[in-house]
Amino acid sequence: MIVPAGKEDGASTELVKHGAAPYRAPRVALIVVLPENHVVSADRLAESLRAHGGRNIDVVVACAGQPTNLAALQQSVGDAQFILAPAGTTVEDLRELAMRQVPGDIVTLVSGAPVSASGADSELFMSS
Amino acid sequence: MSSTRALSVIVPAHNSSATLPRALTAILASELPRDGYELIVVDDASSDGSAEIAARYADTVVRLTGRVSGPAYARNRGAELAQGEILAFVDPDAMVRADTLPRMLAMMSDNHGLAAVSASHDQSAPTRNLVSQYWNLLLHFGDQRQAGSSGNVASPCAATRRLVFLSVGMYDEWRFGTTALEGIELGKRLEDSGCVVKSNKDLAIAGLRRWNLRSLCREVWTRSALLARSLGYQQTRAAVPNEVVFTLSRSLAPVFALTCLVAVSAASLPRPDMLVAVAIALFGAIALNLPALVFFAKARGIIFAIAVAPLHLLVQALSSLGLCAGWILRDAVGDRAPDAAIQAYAEVGVETWPPVPRATGG
Repeated sequence: MIVPAGKEDGASTELVKHGAAPYRAPRVALIVVLPENHVVSADRLAESLRAHGGRNIDVVVACAGQPTNLAALQQSVGDAQFILAPAGTTVEDLRELAMRQVPGDIVTLVSGAPVSASGADSELFMSS
Repeated sequence: MSSTRALSVIVPAHNSSATLPRALTAILASELPRDGYELIVVDDASSDGSAEIAARYADTVVRLTGRVSGPAYARNRGAELAQGEILAFVDPDAMVRADTLPRMLAMMSDNHGLAAVSASHDQSAPTRNLVSQYWNLLLHFGDQRQAGSSGNVASPCAATRRLVFLSVGMYDEWRFGTTALEGIELGKRLEDSGCVVKSNKDLAIAGLRRWNLRSLCREVWTRSALLARSLGYQQTRAAVPNEVVFTLSRSLAPVFALTCLVAVSAASLPRPDMLVAVAIALFGAIALNLPALVFFAKARGIIFAIAVAPLHLLVQALSSLGLCAGWILRDAVGDRAPDAAIQAYAEVGVETWPPVPRATGG
C-alpha cells in the first residue's frame, strides 16, 4: 500500500485493517474474432490498438478453422495469443470462448469481415 | 472503438444472464448503422457468466471484480471509456425498440440545449406472470401521466451528452451503491446546473425482469425508504412526479390501503361488526385508486384489474411504510454514508482498480 507522506492517520489505519491493495493499472485485452473465411485488416487492428493509447495490451486471436497469414499478424502485433476453434464455430461462440480465456479488466472485441466484403489490399490475416 | 462514433451505449450488468441476451439483441436491432455506435457492457462482479454473454454482442466488456458496486458505479466506468458524444445508458433488463435509440440521438442532435432525455415504460408484457405485468403497467401508468414534465434520468434507458455528464460529476456512485434512484439524483443535479432534461413518453422500452412478490416488495420498500432518506420527498416529488413511489403515494391512497390491510386482517377474527369497517376501508382505497384500476382494466381487462387490486393495495401500504422508515432514518441518523473502508480510501487518495466509489451528489 502506498500512503502519501503526512497522511498516516485514522484513515490509513482503516486501510491497513481492510488490506488495501497497491494500485494496479487495469489489464487491457484485445480479442480479434475470425470465423471461417473472415479477414481483419491492418488498419482496423491498428485503430483498435491505438484506441487504448500507450497501454500494454494482451492481443488474442480467436479463429475458427485453420489460420493463414500467421506470420503477417505476428509481425504486426508481436506476441499475440491464439485460440483455435473447430471450423464452423460461429462468431458469437468464438467471442464467448475467447472471453472465457482472456483475463483482462477491459476487453475490446473486434470481429473480422467476410472475405468477399473486404478489400484485398488491406487484408492482414484470415481464417479458412 | 472509433473516435468518430456519435453514440456510446452503456449497459451495466450484475448477474443478468436471464435478460442480457434479449436486451443486447434489441440494442443491436436498433435502426442505426452498426459502425455508428459502440456497445459497452460493464459487468459488475457477476457470478453467472454475464461477462461471457456480453462478449457475444458488445464491442467492449469491462469486468469489475471484488464486491458488487451497483449500476451507478458500473455506468460511470463505462462512461470513462466511451468515445461517443452522446451516452445512452440502458439497463440489462430493458428492451429498447428499434427506433428508441435513433430517436433519442435525433432529439439530442436537433436540440443542442437538451442535456438528457429518458424513455418511458411501455405496456407490453414480455414476462407473463401477474406481478411482472402489474409492475410494468404501473410504471407505464406513472410515465404516461407525467412524462415530459420532469427532469428524470431514472428510466431504464436514458441518454445524455458525455461532456455534460462528465462536467456534473457523473452518477453519484457513493450514495447510491446498491439501489435505484441514482438517475433521479443525476437529473436533479443536471437541472440545478441549468441543463434541460426531458422524459419522453413516445420513446418506449419494455421491462424484461421477472418480478415475484418478494422481489417486488423489496424493490418498493428500498426505493421508498431511500427516496425519503436520501433525496427528500417533497423536493423530489416536485422535480420527478412520474417516479413510481409518487404514483403509489398520491393523495390519501396509502392511508386507505394501510387501513384496508389492517381491517381485512382484523376481519379474519370472529367479529362480524368489523365487516362495516372493512367495507368502508375497501371503498375508500378503491375510490382513491380508481384511475390506476381503470387503467389496468383498459390495458388487460377487468379480471386482471380485480386480480391485481389486492397486490396494488399491498404495494401501496408497503411504500408508505418505507417512506415513513426513510423519514425517521433521515431525522435520526441522517443520509446514507459509505462504509469506513471506502471513506478511508477517498480520504487518503489511494488509487485502485477498480477505483474507489466517488461522491458527487449533494
